[in-house]
Amino acid sequence: MRSPRVPEMATQEVQPNETLTHLKTESDTLKTKLEEERAKLHDVELHQVAEKVDGLGQFIMKTRRTLKGHGNKVLCMDWCKDKRRIVSSSQDGKVIVWDAFTTNKEHAVTMPCTWVMACAYAPSGCAVACGGLDNKCSVYPLSLDKNENLAAKKKSVAMHTNYLSACSFTNSDMQILTSSGDGTCALWDVESGQLLQSFHGHAADVLCLDLAPSETGNTFVSGGCDKKANVWDMRSGQCIQSFETHESDINSVRYYPSGDAFASGSDDATCRLYDLRADREVAIYSKESIIFGVSSVDFSLSGRLLFGGYNDYTINVWDVLKGTRVSILFGHENRVSTLRVSPDGTAFCTGSWDHTLRVWA
Amino acid sequence: MSSKAQSSNNLAHARRTVQQLRIEASIERIKVSKASADLMNYCSEHARNDPLLMGIPASDNPFKDKKPCNIL
Repeated sequence: MRSPRVPEMATQEVQPNETLTHLKTESDTLKTKLEEERAKLHDVELHQVAEKVDGLGQFIMKTRRTLKGHGNKVLCMDWCKDKRRIVSSSQDGKVIVWDAFTTNKEHAVTMPCTWVMACAYAPSGCAVACGGLDNKCSVYPLSLDKNENLAAKKKSVAMHTNYLSACSFTNSDMQILTSSGDGTCALWDVESGQLLQSFHGHAADVLCLDLAPSETGNTFVSGGCDKKANVWDMRSGQCIQSFETHESDINSVRYYPSGDAFASGSDDATCRLYDLRADREVAIYSKESIIFGVSSVDFSLSGRLLFGGYNDYTINVWDVLKGTRVSILFGHENRVSTLRVSPDGTAFCTGSWDHTLRVWA
Repeated sequence: MSSKAQSSNNLAHARRTVQQLRIEASIERIKVSKASADLMNYCSEHARNDPLLMGIPASDNPFKDKKPCNIL
């Protein structure tokens, strides 16, 4: 379409606006095309295909261990690969390493800030990473000498311009992936503290991230206050897929064990399942009676069960394929803020604003 | 910020959005029926190795055992 004739002088002013309009139109066209392409392949619902699968029986899961010691809300926890140790972090500024079998505390570190919102165990089991309102992610090597002051060996790795919301080691102790209230995710070299890659695309705070199972390659998923879940290529920094179906903040994202899908939990009181190869949401886990937000989600080892920790103090257990709830677990006396299944799938651990952690099996 | 700078910011943002959408629109997709079947297959293949799903006897689950642990 030919642009209307305008006087020579005004052309410089008009052109940027015209290009902007062009781009807006192309952007809208692409969005519509995306929806159409996705809709074409939406030939059936997951729960319909799953009708022929056997239903699940009754589940009896109970609290088997209660870990007491934090002085304030527990905000995050992670399992060690040895399947028995747990690291947890709290609003009280403390990071504690527990032996979940015996409930003994093995290490404790006091951070210089309160609200330690993120913590992670290194794959080797020899270090933990944590951070929060200090806008940093720091790594503490774990010493076998109980008398050694861990804080002295602290290494500052990541620096964001707002709070650290989540962190995870990649498949070695050498790199850490972080997400932040500054709207970005970043990949860091632990030894040098160097920024290796940054990931821009969220329009608001990023609240959570999860790395794809190592067999499926170098990607990770993040969720944010912009209601989007983004899948990223770790090498290029490119966002390769984006999903926006939640109606509120996404507090937690977790890959399905095969790496072909991921689940999310949101303040909109639902959990959802997104299939990466179909490039769309394929299930919603919700009930009219569930009105409080989901803070964290994780799958059982086979991917058949999805555990969700909720702000109404409960844990709901969902049949991933059929979309139905199979169990509701009570025990915590305040919000469940964090939930992870153990590496060998024998148990899962929850952390709560009631200051405790519970191990369920 | 001058209006020129602002409009070039908006322009840069719009270009990035279009570029991003082009990438997302171009990926290859499979049907939900196929994706669902694959999810179901994965579940059934791994079901018997899923302790929380199958339930394992207390003697095999270190968390269910209330006696003091003997570390091997």
